Amino acid sequence: MTIIELTNVKKTYALGKVEVEAVRGVSFAIEKGDFISIAGPSGSGKSTILNLIGCIDTPTAGTVDIEGRPTAGLSDKELTILRHDAIGFIFQSFNLIPVLDVYENIEFPLLMGAGGPPKKERRAWVESLVAEVGLEQWRRHKPNELSGGQRQRVAIARALVTRPRIVLADEPTANLDSKTGEQIISLMKKINREIATTFIFSTHDPSIVQEADHVIRLHDGEVVENVRTTEAAAVRSVE
Amino acid sequence: MPVLLRIALRNIREHTSKSLIIGSLVVLGVIIIVLGNSLLDTASEGVHRMFIDNYTGDVFLTGIPRTPGATVSLFGLSGGGETEAIPVFPDHDAVLVHVQGDRRVTLATSQVTGLGLVGLEGSDNRAITVFFGIDPATYPALFHDTFLVSGSSLRPGQEGLVVSRGWLTSANKSLKSELTVGDKLLLNGFGHAGFKIRESTIVGVVDFNAETQGMDLIAWANADTVRVLTSVDVSADDVVLTKSQTDLLNATSENDIFGSPETSMSAAAARTPAPESAPAAASLSAAPATAGSWHFLLVRLADSRQADSFIKDTNAWLESQGIAARAGGWKVAAGPFAQSIDVIRIVFYVAILIVSIVAIIIMMNTLVISVMERTGEIGTMRALGARKYYVWLMFLTETLAVTVIFGLIGIAIAAGIEGIVNSLRIPAANFFTQVIFGGKVLHLGLSPLSFLNTILIVAGVGLVAHLYPVIVALKVQPVQAMQSE
Repeated sequence: MTIIELTNVKKTYALGKVEVEAVRGVSFAIEKGDFISIAGPSGSGKSTILNLIGCIDTPTAGTVDIEGRPTAGLSDKELTILRHDAIGFIFQSFNLIPVLDVYENIEFPLLMGAGGPPKKERRAWVESLVAEVGLEQWRRHKPNELSGGQRQRVAIARALVTRPRIVLADEPTANLDSKTGEQIISLMKKINREIATTFIFSTHDPSIVQEADHVIRLHDGEVVENVRTTEAAAVRSVE
Repeated sequence: MPVLLRIALRNIREHTSKSLIIGSLVVLGVIIIVLGNSLLDTASEGVHRMFIDNYTGDVFLTGIPRTPGATVSLFGLSGGGETEAIPVFPDHDAVLVHVQGDRRVTLATSQVTGLGLVGLEGSDNRAITVFFGIDPATYPALFHDTFLVSGSSLRPGQEGLVVSRGWLTSANKSLKSELTVGDKLLLNGFGHAGFKIRESTIVGVVDFNAETQGMDLIAWANADTVRVLTSVDVSADDVVLTKSQTDLLNATSENDIFGSPETSMSAAAARTPAPESAPAAASLSAAPATAGSWHFLLVRLADSRQADSFIKDTNAWLESQGIAARAGGWKVAAGPFAQSIDVIRIVFYVAILIVSIVAIIIMMNTLVISVMERTGEIGTMRALGARKYYVWLMFLTETLAVTVIFGLIGIAIAAGIEGIVNSLRIPAANFFTQVIFGGKVLHLGLSPLSFLNTILIVAGVGLVAHLYPVIVALKVQPVQAMQSE
């Protein structure tokens, strides 16, 4: 079942008087529950694609459909609600709220929208996520008291707390050492398998890319490869 | 605790330097506001005792002067024509009955005022005096904040003068004498009927419980004496020439400068210019000579805060009755002396305004810097699904938290300063400081209303200061979360 569909999407940024085409007519579809890597070198348009899928940026041309619903024409309020309810974000720089501890950071998205779960239920759910990412002993620690890997674990738990159908991760291992990066990807994959949430992560690290079920490779704002795992493995072996 | 308040309080603690910049401004502003408000409260109480309790009452009714723009106070007419005198109160008895029938009124009395000179027989020295011709039956009940130093008060029907200790000191200086109760004085007055001289005896000396201003110029006399001195119509039956007055009259042929009650009355009737309004003219001509005329009605209310509504209602009634009289507040009655109070208040409010503007600008800049530093955090919140109002609410909470916390610290410091100031018992050097101090010694005290006022001003400053930074914050796009390091 297709959960995300991009059709001939273009994105142009104005850089002073010069217009830069970050994405040039990209089209692809993502199936529900996939573990997808958007790969490519720096400047290839990976982050722009994630921003467009995450409804935090709008395309210059083309359409982005989330769960069969076109995002074009949605108001700021509608996009905010869509982000809150359907999409979780994991940022390269973790982006945790510095004054909140681990537990509070994970809980935070539940406190922003109206009509969240009751307190008791919320607490149990957040505690289960704290346990899921292995931070029980660190639950009252502030972000500046955690390692990079621990911070990214908090970010993963926070991205999952609203039970989103899609989790977007923008180079989630970029600020981590390779071992920690692998652990983070393993954790994401484990959660993806357990709760069937669609994970889309951008990376330029080939060792991370091979963990994906579906690889979309970009170069200069265009899709140069769009393959499922087995196909991707075959392509790699031919190369 | 709500998450936004948690974030606000922790941000205040985390960003110590910024919090201290904003906080110190708030503390400084609050100290100024609290001390200013305390001073205004104190001054307000002092003003009440100085004017309302001593000689103006809550509401003051007077006839309307002929000259447009002219103003009447208890001390006389200003801005009127050269020959214009304080207007005689039209339909006095009817207005008095109406006023006394109002449930808000506790007491009312009538007064006639005249400016004149006081001297001793055989001496050329004179002391300027404002004569308050009063009704001894009702006046002391309204203005009871005095105590008798010597002699007695004026009794109904009694002729004589009651003076204040301040007046006595001042007059002794001018007359080079040692006046005391029982001494006879020559009172000189000038009205439209000409120059008048009367003899009167000091029957009592009083002093005020509270500080006063302008009262050193005042002597209280029986109303008829003042009526004669000021050429206001007077009851023929009430005026009896004393022996010295008769002697004085016999001693000179210049009768025109020694008006008898009869000549005064006839002169008044003959020379008083016709009032502009017909009803006033009718009331003047109809006024019985035996009743005596008055310049003012002074009214005390059960609750001074009802003065404005009482004035409004009374003026509406006067207008509906076609009576050429108007009611005003104590400031109108006190005339020039009250203006200083307004000046002081304006100075304080301007100071508070300036401090507020400075505080708003500095707070605004500090908050804008804070917003810029937290662009990533705001973008992250927006990306995670925080609506714009939530971001606004976060900054509002933080601004209010910082202003309230430091506001309370400021109030505590201000209370400490007040305690120190009160213990120093700083004396008032002159009238202006007496008005500000509300007495001879500065004693500051903050009323609950002023406390609330301070909190509201501080919160208001915070609200205004957070507006621009919030506009900047609301422009932060969720995509900026991706760009934060």
